[in-house]
Amino acid sequence: MYDVEAPLAGRREVARGVWVLGFEAAPIAHSVRAGQFVNLLLRPGPLLRRPFSVYRVDHDVVEVVLKAVGEGTRMLLELRPGDRVSMLGPLGTGFELEREGGPVALVSGGLGVAPMPLAAREAQALGLTVHWVHGARTADELCREWEGDEAWWATDDGSLGVAGSVLQAVPVGVGQVLGCGPNRMLAALAERWPEAQVALETYMGCGTGVCLGCAVPRTSGVFDRACQEGPVYRSGSIRWRDLPTALHYAVSA
Amino acid sequence: MVEVGGVELQSPVMAASGTFGYGTDVPLCDRKALGGMVSKGIFLNARPGTPPPRIVETPSGMLNAIGLQGPGVEAVIRDYAPLWATWDFPVLVNINGESVDEYGELAARLDGVPGVAGLEVNISCPNVREGGLFFGNNPESAAAVTTAVRRRTSLPLWVKLTPAVSDISAIARACEEAGADALSAVNTFVGMSFDLGSGQPRLAFRTGGLSGPAIRPLALYLAYQVARAVSIPVVGIGGIARAEDAMEFLLAGCRAVQVGTATFVDPNAIGKIAAGISLPLVGKDPLAQSSDRPLASR
Repeated sequence: MYDVEAPLAGRREVARGVWVLGFEAAPIAHSVRAGQFVNLLLRPGPLLRRPFSVYRVDHDVVEVVLKAVGEGTRMLLELRPGDRVSMLGPLGTGFELEREGGPVALVSGGLGVAPMPLAAREAQALGLTVHWVHGARTADELCREWEGDEAWWATDDGSLGVAGSVLQAVPVGVGQVLGCGPNRMLAALAERWPEAQVALETYMGCGTGVCLGCAVPRTSGVFDRACQEGPVYRSGSIRWRDLPTALHYAVSA
Repeated sequence: MVEVGGVELQSPVMAASGTFGYGTDVPLCDRKALGGMVSKGIFLNARPGTPPPRIVETPSGMLNAIGLQGPGVEAVIRDYAPLWATWDFPVLVNINGESVDEYGELAARLDGVPGVAGLEVNISCPNVREGGLFFGNNPESAAAVTTAVRRRTSLPLWVKLTPAVSDISAIARACEEAGADALSAVNTFVGMSFDLGSGQPRLAFRTGGLSGPAIRPLALYLAYQVARAVSIPVVGIGGIARAEDAMEFLLAGCRAVQVGTATFVDPNAIGKIAAGISLPLVGKDPLAQSSDRPLASR
């Protein structure tokens, strides 16, 4: 774990209102694994850090993907190149791919695309075939950046790819499913692929394991920490009904 | 070194209960600067804690309702106390009971366990339906818990006070008379937040404990009152995020401070705060220093 004063290196809009921000943070860039996250602190800014899955890594640059959902993300989108954030990471436990596990489907909805580029690279490094499966509400809200061997799209309104759930766009014959997106989508994914690995989003306090704020209800009966044991879990090990279906973000004065 | 109620601290800046786990998960903290730590609050038996959402950010603060999730006293003695015994800084165990007897049981079980430097008796947790705050809000029950613990252990005994009382001085004096060696002031303030979309409280537990800089002036005044009410040392707690904040609590009469929410923001907050406290202040007798200061205006 590193705490890096990371300057903004660049940014680009990858779908309407969805931005990729790249920060220079060499020690994190060189050690992060797919599914892990970083926790960003803005000063001045809201009290707590904001957690983000790492999107891509390019040399010393760590990328995250976000849209403005509250005060913290709005301020992040106002940063100019060279402005610094404190970046804590890499945090959490990422995806585990099996060399003998068969073709991989990376299934994501909306901002759930975040951990998938690194997952695609790790899968390809193991010689696995990668199906990139991504959905959004509409075509203009859909991030078109993708990595792997073949891309499959879905939109709620049918404006691109399959009309309806991204789960309908998953091709047959995949051996390993990795998922990330809204809890409702992941709960549906868990019914079809209980062995799938999913990266969860939760409210989070510290990100380092001490506050116990990011509780994830497991079928074993315990709550554990998205920031330590997670954020990646076997989908069948989560008590989905006990997770909030949507995360509402408070605005900090 | 700073001596507080029978515990030798490495510095006057400690880690507050529930913000440092059991001391094993804060890799970036400068442990040489750490005065000591208080463990996550434990009960006799394991507890799952409350369902999510457990935390909500608020202006300059956060609400939490964790529900004292933990493995119970036997697991703590087996899994953590042996590690604590090898560390340079002291570890106090924060204990919680559903009854006066249960506090006594916990004290007896922890008495003499290597690695346990003292007990912080939590009569102030707002996030459990039984015990906790119930014991901390009147002098008789606060004294009853303190007495029950005192009878069962010779360990240094600190009592952590709740801010949700009308006369904190009376509670503080009751704990002192019942045998407390030091007082921690204060725990979180009970608060809540509603989500306008759903019309529901943001926390699954509905209410939570407010911490962070938002509560600092409130906590400071309570710690100040406690320090004036008793002759045992007081450990100030409440929104401390910078060395200047800690020094305010020392000026108010506290012998040491605990840092909590700031550690969530910066894992080495304690290291930075301890390094920034100017030494002449620490050397003086803080009680004498504050005694001639006027009480806050009302």
